[in-house]
Amino acid sequence: MGARRVLVVDDDPTLRETLGEVLTDDGFDVRVAWNGRDALEKLDGWNADVVILDVMMPVMDAFGFQSALDQRPEPSPPVILLSAAPGLASAASELGAASVISKPFHLQDLIAEVRRVVGPMNGTAPAGV
Amino acid sequence: MAVTQIKPTQRVSASGKRTLADLAHGPEAIRLLVDAILDYAIFLIGPDGHVLTWNQGAERIKGYSASEVIGKHISLFYTREDVEAGRPERILRQAARAGRANDEGWRVRKDGTRFWADASVHALYDHGRLYGFAKITRDMTEAREAAERERQLAVEREARLAAEEALRARDRFLSIASHELKTPVASLQLAVDALLMSRQRGILDQGRIERGLERIERAVRRMSTLLVELLDVSRLERGSTEFHFTDVDLSDIAEEVIDRFAGVEPNERIRFDLEPTPIRADAARIEQVISNLLDNALKYSSQPDPVYVRIAPSKEGAAIEVRDRGVGLALDRKDGLFEPFSRGDNSVSVPGLGLGLFISREIVAGHGGHISVESAGDGKGTTFRVTLPQQPPRNGDGGS
Repeated sequence: MGARRVLVVDDDPTLRETLGEVLTDDGFDVRVAWNGRDALEKLDGWNADVVILDVMMPVMDAFGFQSALDQRPEPSPPVILLSAAPGLASAASELGAASVISKPFHLQDLIAEVRRVVGPMNGTAPAGV
Repeated sequence: MAVTQIKPTQRVSASGKRTLADLAHGPEAIRLLVDAILDYAIFLIGPDGHVLTWNQGAERIKGYSASEVIGKHISLFYTREDVEAGRPERILRQAARAGRANDEGWRVRKDGTRFWADASVHALYDHGRLYGFAKITRDMTEAREAAERERQLAVEREARLAAEEALRARDRFLSIASHELKTPVASLQLAVDALLMSRQRGILDQGRIERGLERIERAVRRMSTLLVELLDVSRLERGSTEFHFTDVDLSDIAEEVIDRFAGVEPNERIRFDLEPTPIRADAARIEQVISNLLDNALKYSSQPDPVYVRIAPSKEGAAIEVRDRGVGLALDRKDGLFEPFSRGDNSVSVPGLGLGLFISREIVAGHGGHISVESAGDGKGTTFRVTLPQQPPRNGDGGS
C-alpha cells in the first residue's frame, strides 16, 4: 500500500505550502488547493484519504465544496476542518467533519489528528524519525 | 352657571305642552345646543374684544364661570407674553379682515395653569358692519402631549435601533477582525513549528530555512498591514489623518501597485491602460486606494478572469477605474459598501476586514475627489471609479 493521501485546501498560500511540505516530510502523499473548486479538480482521479479544509475561501468555500463532493459517486474522504472562522463547531456538524482544529494551532496537534483520521501508517516511514 | 343656559320649563307652547319640534324651531335651540357642548369653548366676542356669551365647554376648559368673564376682555385668557405682543387684538384684526383666523397656542386657565388651545375666530358681519366674533376653542393639551410622547418614543426607538446596529457592527467587526488576525498568526506559528520540526528531524537544510523565513516574513507583513488598516480607520474616523500633497503622476503610482500584485498574482490577470496623469496628490495614500481597489477586484473575481486598471486625465483632473468580471453586487448594497466593516453579500467567504473601501473613500474625500461603484448586478462584475481634482483642497498639508 502506498503513502496516505492528504489534500490541503486553504486560500492562505503560506499555510498551504508549509503544510504541504511538512506533511510530505512526514511521509504523506500531499496535494494542495487554494479553494473548493480547485480542490474538486485535484480530487479528479486521485482519491484523498483525508482533506484538510479551510472554511472561508473565495470562489468556493467549505460548504460548496462538501456539497459538490457529496454528489460524486465515490465515497467522500473524511474532512478535518482547519479554520479561524467563528462558529467552527456548528460549521463542523453541518459539514459532517471528522475533526476540527481552530487556527492558530500547533503543527504536532494537526499531524496527530491527520494520523488518527487516516488510521495507522503502513506506507513510507516518516522522514528523519 | 352659564348665562346662555335656558331652562326648557321656562318656555311653554300655546297648548301648554312643550314639544321637541317647538324647541327645535325656537330661537333658543341653538343656544341650548351650544351651551350643552362640553368639549369646545364656544362664545361670542364684541367688536372691541369683550366676552358676550359663555358656554359650559368654555367654563370647563378655561375654569371661569360666565359671571366672571362676561364683559371682560379676551386678553384674560392669553399668556402675559402674548398679551404684551398684542396677540389677542391681532387675531381679531386678522379675523375681521379675512373672515376667519386660526389661533393655536398656550392659554391660561383661571387657576393659572396653561393649556394648549386650538382655536378659530370667525368675524360676524351684518350688512357690512362688524358686530362681533364667534370664537371656538378646543383644549388640545392631551393630544399635543400624546403627540409629543409619540415623537419622543420615536426618537428613542430610533436611537435604540442605531445603538443596536452599532453593537451588531462591532460584533461583526470583532468576528471578522479576529478571523483576519488569526489567519496570519496561524501561518506564522506553522512556519516556525515547521522549522523547529525539521531541525528536530535533522533535515533543516538551506532551502527549508529560506522558505521558512519567506513565509514568516509574509505572515508578519500581513499582520502589520491589518494593524495599519485598523489604525487608519480610527484616524480617518476622527478626521486626524494628514495628507502630504506633492506633484505626482498617477500612472507611475498605478504601475508600482500593479508590479507588486503581478508578483503574487500569476496568469497575467491584470490588464492596464495607464496614461501619464500628473496631479497634486498624496502618493502613498493614492497608492493605498489603487491597491485596495485592485485587491478587491482580484478577490471578488476568480482566475483566469482579467481585471482592468485604467488611469487617465479627465476634465476635473484625473480618473482611476478598476473593473472586474467577478461576483458583482446587488444595487441596494452600493451605498453601504463604503461604510466601515460593511462587506458585499457576496463576500461571506472572502477574506478581508471590510475596511478597504471605507479607507479609500476617506482618502479620496481628503483629496476633494469622489469614488463611486457600478455593477450590472449579481455575478456581473463591478467597476470602481475615482475622480480626483487637479489640485486638492487647501485645508490639507500643501507640501510646498
